[in-house]
Amino acid sequence: MKVFLAEDDANISTIAKMALEQLGGHQVTHIDNGEKALEKLIAEGHTYDVILLDEMMPGLNGLAVCEQYTQQVAEVRPVIFLSAKSQASDVKQFEEHGRGYIPKPFDPTQLCQQIENILSSKKNRSAS
Amino acid sequence: MISLIQTRLKILFCLALCASLSLGYVSYSGWNKYTSMHESLNLTYSIEETVTSLKVNKYDKHLYKELKSTRALLEPKHRADALSDVIQAYADKSPWLLKKRVKHFLKNELEYRRYARNMMAYWQNRVIYFAALAAGSLLTVFLLMVLYIRYSIFNPLKDLARKMTDFLNNKYSYQFSVPDPNEVGQLHATFNALAQQVLSNMDELTTLDRAKSEFLNIASHELRTPLTSIKGSLSLLQSGVAGDVNDSSKNLMNIAETETDRLIRLINDVLDLAKIEAGRLPLEKEWVSLESLVNETITSLQGLATTASVRLEASKLPHLEIDVDSDRIKQVLTNLISNAIKFSPEKGVVNISADIDAHGSLRLNVHDQGRGIAPEDIERIFEKFSQATGPNNPLVKGTGLGLAIARAIVTEHEGHIGVESTIGKGSQFYFTLAHWRIPGQNANSGNIKTTQGAVA
Repeated sequence: MKVFLAEDDANISTIAKMALEQLGGHQVTHIDNGEKALEKLIAEGHTYDVILLDEMMPGLNGLAVCEQYTQQVAEVRPVIFLSAKSQASDVKQFEEHGRGYIPKPFDPTQLCQQIENILSSKKNRSAS
Repeated sequence: MISLIQTRLKILFCLALCASLSLGYVSYSGWNKYTSMHESLNLTYSIEETVTSLKVNKYDKHLYKELKSTRALLEPKHRADALSDVIQAYADKSPWLLKKRVKHFLKNELEYRRYARNMMAYWQNRVIYFAALAAGSLLTVFLLMVLYIRYSIFNPLKDLARKMTDFLNNKYSYQFSVPDPNEVGQLHATFNALAQQVLSNMDELTTLDRAKSEFLNIASHELRTPLTSIKGSLSLLQSGVAGDVNDSSKNLMNIAETETDRLIRLINDVLDLAKIEAGRLPLEKEWVSLESLVNETITSLQGLATTASVRLEASKLPHLEIDVDSDRIKQVLTNLISNAIKFSPEKGVVNISADIDAHGSLRLNVHDQGRGIAPEDIERIFEKFSQATGPNNPLVKGTGLGLAIARAIVTEHEGHIGVESTIGKGSQFYFTLAHWRIPGQNANSGNIKTTQGAVA
């Protein structure tokens, strides 16, 4: 699976990258800020299987990146947010804008499974 | 404007009061004159009778005396003189002269009577006229008093009451006006001062509230970000991604990871409690089945119970629906049940039951067979960071905030949380929920008797 990861915290992105690549065997492209992430997504977003966006990034936050990306691109790939926010209103926003969210702190050994779960649960929901 | 009206009203009031008093006096003196005229008219009749009887009576000493005393009462002078002549003739015992004098006297009285009647009619008219005027001015005084009270007391009081109501209804666009310099005005000024103080305190509170909310947001992010890295690194190290790990390193990593998890729980709890207390965690209430809510919670805690060799059982739960934020109530129930598990002896039983209490609220009970809580500890266990210290408990340590959060959530649901405990015999934690119904019925806890019957 090709994974796009936008995360400004270098430590977290190292961990997530290691988990996805070495534990899940996925191919990860990492970008460390919102503006660049949006640019790259508009250019080559269709080549990824899943897009992971950190919610809190300086400049353009995850929700804004997702909103502009979905508006400007015809073929939208599934977006999952990474966020330390867990209020009901925030969760609702994550579900409205993307496929769902993974709360921080997350367990990297569970990360691949969590992504799979979100992708498949949404598939089931759309199917029904 | 109102004060100008008030001044004019005061002047008018005084004028009308003076007028009514003097008119009243005039009318009263007229009435006196009328009654005295009436008395003297009556006197002419009685004296006429006496004088007429003189013509046939023999001389009588008493009668003579009476006539003399009556003479003193007669006025004007010509009447008294005429009577004096009669008395003289009577004393002289001269029938001819007496007859003549009596005739003259009676003629005189007849004239006086005519005069008296005219005067009585005159005074009667005057009395009626002035009494009507006095009554009119008294009525004016009364009306002016009503107006005065209305403008200077009732209206300002009503105005003040309206301002107070506005203020209570959070209409903070409160207009401060200059109050009148009287007692009501003083009241107004006091309220103005009070309102100004409240408004300035409110501003301060709003600023503090904003700062608190901002702090919560930053704290959530800033505390969780480093923890994500710590927890992630430990987890990856243990998984062996970064190379083989020997047993003692693994053991140390385990400790670090357990404590990191505890720190994460603590942060989550602190933030949760702060949000609930700041009213930033709005309840998402809906009608849910009591049975499924309890059963789902029990299922999620089954693992913990098995680890602790404790049996979880639910007594026959009533088929009811409750109007709650189910995630939050599950959080309360999870907290109470996991506490019960933690403090249960091995092979103990934790029982979950529900009933309707004396106030018609649904009561959920979590009963354990632990060692119980000392009466002096019962009050403080719901306070923040206050834990009943357990014996060598192998299970996960708590954050000391669970019961404080549970109490905050239950309070938000208009319920009450508490505990009944006997040392050595276990504890029963309970909380109440006011809003429940029998499925398919609209009625809430309205008809307790019927509902209780149905529940039983």
